[in-house]
Amino acid sequence: MKQSPLLQQIQEQMKPGIITLDGFLGKDTRNLIDILIEDDGTVRRLGRTHRAIAQRMQYFRDAGYAGLGEFITVDGHFEVRVDSVRGKLPSPFGGPQLYWKVNTVVRNLELDREVFYTDLHIHFVRDHGFYEGKGSPYRLDPVELIDVLEIPATNV
Amino acid sequence: MVTTLLISVTIVTSLAVFLALLMVIADATIANYGEVDISINDGSRQYTVRGGKPLLKTLGEQEIFIPSACGGRGSCGLCKVQVVKGGGSILPTELPWLSEEEQQDNIRLSCQFKVKESLEIKIPEELFLVKAFETKVAQIRDLTHDIKEVTLQLVDPPEISAKAGQFIQFQVPEYELTDEEVYRAYSLSSAPSDSTKVELEIRLVPNGICTTYVHKYLKEGDTVMINGPYGDFYLRESDREAICVAGGSGMAPIKSILLDMKDKGISRKTRYFFGARSAGDLFLIDEMRELEKTLPDFTFIPALSEPQPEDDWDGDTGLITDVLDRKLENIQEAEAYLCGSPGMIDACVKVLKDKGIPDERIFYDKFA
Repeated sequence: MKQSPLLQQIQEQMKPGIITLDGFLGKDTRNLIDILIEDDGTVRRLGRTHRAIAQRMQYFRDAGYAGLGEFITVDGHFEVRVDSVRGKLPSPFGGPQLYWKVNTVVRNLELDREVFYTDLHIHFVRDHGFYEGKGSPYRLDPVELIDVLEIPATNV
Repeated sequence: MVTTLLISVTIVTSLAVFLALLMVIADATIANYGEVDISINDGSRQYTVRGGKPLLKTLGEQEIFIPSACGGRGSCGLCKVQVVKGGGSILPTELPWLSEEEQQDNIRLSCQFKVKESLEIKIPEELFLVKAFETKVAQIRDLTHDIKEVTLQLVDPPEISAKAGQFIQFQVPEYELTDEEVYRAYSLSSAPSDSTKVELEIRLVPNGICTTYVHKYLKEGDTVMINGPYGDFYLRESDREAICVAGGSGMAPIKSILLDMKDKGISRKTRYFFGARSAGDLFLIDEMRELEKTLPDFTFIPALSEPQPEDDWDGDTGLITDVLDRKLENIQEAEAYLCGSPGMIDACVKVLKDKGIPDERIFYDKFA
């Protein structure tokens, strides 16, 4: 699909070496608009919203912070660790805010699966419905997020 | 029809070649800043360099290493220098990292602005002691399931002069996850007295470029480039009790400090609180118990926040902040040395301040 000049500009910011070494698109050669539309369709089809997914990500991020850098048990069957590496990143979508490089690992012990995301991801999902391009090392699969974080269906 | 097509293709091709040529000429002339002078610390050192590259890189080529944890992408805010003359205006990419006071003092992020004219700058004198070292991996040891101890034997130069608690920058070469060299900062865990090697404790960060390289690619015998030492996290000279607190790979600088105390015969009272989740996350316990025997007044206090039944743990339990709160009394005169995640540091600083230790006697190395 043809995309607006603004999205094109954002897509340029997502290329490797601009904000991060790897960029945010991986090996995905599609336009950003197509990446957003496909993931949005997946989330809608599963009866969830980007906001609900981001809220759940934020919930574990905040709960895990109490572990002071070590894994902590949350709600009985989740193990969460929140730690940081040095630095802050701007969003390729623009805006004045910088995001600390805070990493959250959530293990679902009942499923024996885990997901890993950063504070920047929470912003991506909440504000833009963006999960990174396919093949990006930091790509979040919406289906995996919904499963592992046990995000209930909502009325979309 | 074919002739028209051929003429069109020729015109478009010629135009493209002309534009490309124009860009090459422009790059060689407009963007050619020629030779410029950099004067450091009121002329105590002067260099003539070729202009056009970021100051961080330009100084690196003169073997002056400004600390940077993000490889010059403007995302760590570490590479600050004061520009006394030249350098133009502060760029928008620098502003988020600079306080109003720093902006008034013309502090700049050296990775962000290019050297386009002669400059006068000021940097801490100790950065002149920073060197690049070629090293060889002497040993890699698993400390826990996600922390490795890496011992690097210095090759050229063969010795490093560091203070216990300082850090170095580890150069990651091109490999599967990166098509350019990147640097990451790690604290030394070894004693400064053994100046021919450095030990690092590196915890695996999911998808982390350097930690993945160390955990999955680095082998004994490999060559590794480092530069350093950096940092002002070290044991201050005093007779005050030292309260050390760490978690995870925050063990590294504290261990270095303790080994240094042993080497120098420092006998001040020291308590070391180390937080982990379960027994599987504890490491170097034997070394710490050995230090309890050799240092005259040292106590090691490991604490588990979520001990597992199989741990058979009879030591302290709870978050490290709870343990500090329970164990520390009358510590107003003490000094504190902390290393760990920002969350841990912030929480511990609050407890220590509530217990009466003033800000100026709380020293920390925050992974942020």
